[in-house]
Order: sequence, then structure tokens, then C-alpha cells
Amino acid sequence: MAGVLLDNVAKIYPGGVNAVRGVSFAVPDGGLCVLVGPSGCGKSTLLRMVAGLETVTSGAISIGARVVNDIEPMARDIAMVFQNYALYPHMSVYDNMAYGLRNLKTPEPEISARVRDAARILELSDEMLKRKPRALSGGQRQRVAMGRAIVRKPAVFLFDEPLSNLDAKLRVQMRVEIRRLQRRLKTTALYVTHDQLEAMTLADMLVVMNAGRVEQVGAPLELYERPATTFVAGFLGSPPMNFLNGKIEAQGLARMENGEALAYDAGHFGPPIGADIIAGVRPERTSFAAGEDGLAFKLELVEELGLGRLVHGRVGAAPYAVALPPGAPLPPGETARLAIAAGDVHLFDGKSGVRL
Amino acid sequence: MVENRRLGDFFAHLILIAGVAIVAFPVYMAVVASTLDADTIANGQMGLLPGSHGLENYRRLLFEGTSYTTRAPVYGMLVVSLISALGIAIGKIAISLISAYAIVYFRFPLRMIAFWLIFLTLMLPVEVRIYPTYKIVADLHMLDSYAGLTIPLIASATATLLFRQFFMTVPDELAEAAKIDGAGPMQFFRDVLLPLSRTNLAALFVILFIYGWNQYLWPLLITTRDDMQPIVVGIKKIVSTHDALTEWQLAMATAVLAMLPPVLVVVGMQKMFVKGLVETEK
Ligand SMILES: Nc1ncnc2c1ncn2[C@@H]1O[C@H](COP(=O)(O)OP(=O)(O)O)[C@@H](O)[C@H]1O
Ligand SMILES: [Mg+2]
Repeated sequence: MAGVLLDNVAKIYPGGVNAVRGVSFAVPDGGLCVLVGPSGCGKSTLLRMVAGLETVTSGAISIGARVVNDIEPMARDIAMVFQNYALYPHMSVYDNMAYGLRNLKTPEPEISARVRDAARILELSDEMLKRKPRALSGGQRQRVAMGRAIVRKPAVFLFDEPLSNLDAKLRVQMRVEIRRLQRRLKTTALYVTHDQLEAMTLADMLVVMNAGRVEQVGAPLELYERPATTFVAGFLGSPPMNFLNGKIEAQGLARMENGEALAYDAGHFGPPIGADIIAGVRPERTSFAAGEDGLAFKLELVEELGLGRLVHGRVGAAPYAVALPPGAPLPPGETARLAIAAGDVHLFDGKSGVRL
Repeated sequence: MVENRRLGDFFAHLILIAGVAIVAFPVYMAVVASTLDADTIANGQMGLLPGSHGLENYRRLLFEGTSYTTRAPVYGMLVVSLISALGIAIGKIAISLISAYAIVYFRFPLRMIAFWLIFLTLMLPVEVRIYPTYKIVADLHMLDSYAGLTIPLIASATATLLFRQFFMTVPDELAEAAKIDGAGPMQFFRDVLLPLSRTNLAALFVILFIYGWNQYLWPLLITTRDDMQPIVVGIKKIVSTHDALTEWQLAMATAVLAMLPPVLVVVGMQKMFVKGLVETEK
């Protein structure tokens, strides 16, 4: 059992691509840390550096008390689950799981016990253990890949988008299983995904990455409630947060681009009067006002989600979405007024996008 | 429509049968000729039905040899052919597997140059470099030896390229998974790549075995002893007897014997051969 510590880790590929630019964070022992970010932001690169599949250009990676920068993957006490499973096609499921242990010269009875144990946990039948991977469904292959990881009893699990090749329904199911399994084994895990919902639901600790840098680290809800940048605010949550440009007119009051006023919670250190800001409001924290107060909203499209309705429209020129709970009435006409509580307005710097 | 289809099928079959007949008839005639006695053939009385001297002809040919030019028994020729064809096929496969593995999976200095050098040798089959190759083999005292028969033919750019293409289709994650599973480079090669290449190996083996078996020019050049010549060279010597009458029944029997092993290899490995050509198991 061991935590993982990244200290100012950077990666420049031989071609000159600067994939990771100084990332630092610590995963506590037994924690499930999800790295999330758009495609190409360097998540896989980071994970592969922890695995030992890529060299570290600068910085230090520690697993437990040991800096592992120059240690072979096998000696790092990690196991990895790949997006395309990477099962050995010519070996039976049993042999796939046993291969790593055999390389460690584990005695056969011990291997057999561990493989059967893993198979039981993952609900793989004895008959399935004899099959070749191609005779399994996607979900079953995924389980085998996880089985291969757990028989090793590693200090750290590494997952690189392990659910991306599964259909939506199976993805939800496997997501729950991974969470349950990780809780049960209490093994530290680093999990990479580009899917914010997967990230939110799985993580003890969420690391949002953008263009090779960490945008914010924290518990999922913390990031959701207090996003540090417009990037995090826009990335977490579906539908994403709405953004409106404006200027501070007075403490607690912003004048938006369309000329209307929006009240915000001034807090202790509000931005200076006249500052350019971006106001962010979550769709589910917006409703339609009964009176004539609030921002003017032009309705364009209504999506029925079953769980509620999503009303798309515009405030001035900016797109704006409102998520209505089931049963809430739609505004009668093409235009409406938005009811936004001052406490639900997030303020970000107009230029840098950093939370104010 | 149905009528048309039937007619089409009929003609298609007719053409195919004609094709098979054209290819198979000479082979059949060779088999027939190998069962006759010398006089029947010499008198031009050869018919379409096999004669009664088959067993006698083959026995004499295999264990005693013909009466004139080559007196070596064909049994010995078969052994020479078999050993060199196996040597060439296995040697070619082994060397190309290893070089393809090096080129695809390792980053070493001059890697691309090594690749292009191998590629260039495609343009240099034995026939083109026959004089220098002969000189080297002679200087190394490898004339009339199995080493001389096989080694100069073993390097193979074609097979190397084939394996390179195949290795490049194997997902990188497989190598990475093996690395995490603690397999070193040789272990990955043995435990993962080799078993995955099984069908390709089989297909290539068939092709290369036949290539080795059919070698004529090179063995003709470097073998002088009768007991070191492969059967393909032997046939030619049995046929061209200059002053004496060619023993056609024995020449034909030799031809039949020369055809058999490649046929057996193809038939025996047919399933895997076809699989290797059409299927990629990944
Ligand atoms: N082997 C490589 N060589 C050069 N550039 C690479 C390599 N692998 C990834 N990259 C680049 O590094 C960046 C980050 O890639 P990656 O870590 O795979 O992103 P993610 O997993 O977040 O989608 C991308 O711009 C990608 O093109
Ligand atoms: Mg990736």
C-alpha cells in the first residue's frame, strides 16, 4: 500500500511536444484519484510516466516513499488497465491473468489461488477462464483486464480510459464495479478519463487538466461548487455552466453586456469597480422569473430529458441553457426573464478566467 | 435467369476442368512413364495406362541410381534436398523474425539505415551476386557442403519486410502490458510475438520450403560431388546423358519424387497456410 506523489513533473516528447508542463499533486494511500481533461491534455502521458512506460523529462514521481523515475515498470509495484484491454490474444483468460505472476516466479498453486480469487470477485466463471479473449464480450474482456491487474496485488492501479470502448449502459455498470472493487481492495488508484460524469462519480480526488497543466485539484463536489477557473467550471457538469461577460458596477452588482444588471454575492474581497468579469451560472441553478425582473432570455429550443427539461436560448448574444426539474412549467412565450440567486453567481476574471 | 445461371456454371466448370487437365495431364504422363520399362518408352509405345515396372523402377532409382551420368541413388538426393530446403526455410524465417523484431521494437543508432540496407537486398537475389557469392563460399571452403548450399540463400528481405508489417499491426499496448507484467524483450518475443505470428510463420514456411526445394542454379554451381547434389539438379543430370540413351522411365520417376515433398508440405500445412494469408489474429 502506498500513495503517489508527483512533484513538478514535466514531459517533452522527442519531437518537441510539451505534453505535461510541471504537474504536482499527491494521491493519499488508498485514494481513487481521477485525472480528467479534454483529449490531448496530457492525461495519458502523465499516467504512462507513473507506469514507467514513458521517461520523465523533469520532476519526480514517488510511489510510497520511493522515487521511481528510473525504476522499471515491473519493479514499481503497479498494474495498468488499458483502454483497448491489451489482453494477450493467444492466451486463455487464465493465462492472461497468470502471466505476470509467472514472470515473478510465483508458485503455481499460489497463482491458481489468486486467479480464482480474482475471477470470483469479478464474476468470471471457470468456463470463461479457459476461453481466449476473442470469445468474450467487451465487458468481459474489461473484467479480465482488471483481473490481470488485481492478481498482482499492486500498490497502485493505473487505469487509462478503461471504459471508453464499452457501450453507455455497460459503462455505467462497470463504473460502479470499479468503484466497489477499489473500495474493497483499498488500493491506491489513478484513473484517467475524458468523461466528466465518470470522473465526478468515481473520484475521491479529482485532478482537472488542461493543456499539460493542472487546473484544479480537489474533491469532486468542491470543484463543482467552487471551480477555480472558467475551464473547470465549463468542463465539469452537464450541461456546462453558462458564461456571461460583464463589468462590476457596484459591490454586489454587475452590468452585463446586454445592459442588464446581475446581482452577485459580494463576499469579503469583491473585485474592484469597473473590472471586466465573467459571470458563471449553472443551468440547474437558474429558473424562470414570474415578474419583470431578471435577465431577458430568448427561448430557442427545448430538449426533453425525462429527468427534466433543458431550455436553450440566449441572453443578449450569449448562449444560455436552463435546466428545469420535471413538471416545472415552460415560459409562455418566446421571451422570458431569468431568476438567478446572487449566491449562485460565480465570478471569474474577464481576462484570465480565474475565480475572483 | 435460372437457365442462364446453369449455363454460366457449366461453362465456368468446363474452363476450370480444361485448366486442371492442362496442368495435370503432363504430371499424369510422368507418373505413367515412371511405371514403364525402358524399351516401351524407347519404342514410342507409351500409352495412357500405367505399366507394371513401377515398383522396380522406384526401388532401383532410390537405392542404386541410374546407369549412366549420375550414379548416386536418388534417395541421397532427396536427403540433400530436404536438409537444404529445411535449412533455407528455417534459417530465413529465424533471421527475418529477429531482424524484423529489432527494427520494429528497438531504437538503436542507424536503425533506419539498417532497414533500408535490408530493403536494398531485395534487388540482389543470388543470381545477381552469383560470382562474388561463389568466390566467398569457395574461399571459406564451403563448396560441397550443407553450409554452402544454405547460408548464401538465407538472408531474406522479403520475409523481414513481411514480419515487419505484421509486427507493426500488433498494438503497442501489448508490448506495454508485457513490460508491466515483467516480461523482458526476449520473453515478450517468445511468449507473445512468436505465438501471434504462428499462422504467418506457417504460410511463410510453405513458400520458403518450396523456394529452397526448387533451387537449381546455386547448387549446380557449388556442388561437384554426386552425393551432395539436390534432386532438382539430379533430374537434369539424369535427362542429359549425351552419348547414351536417356532412361526416361527413371527420369520421370525422379521428377515424380521431386514433386512429392513440396506437395506434401502444401497439403499438410494448407489450413494454416490459408489462415496465415487471410487472417490476422489480434
Ligand atoms: N509518443 C508521442 N510522441 C509525441 N507526442 C506525443 C506522444 N504521445 C502523445 N503525444 C502528444 O502529447 C499530447 C498529450 O497526449 P496524451 O497524453 O495522449 O493526451 P490525452 O491522454 O490527455 O488525450 C498530445 O498533444 C499528443 O499529440
Ligand atoms: Mg489518452
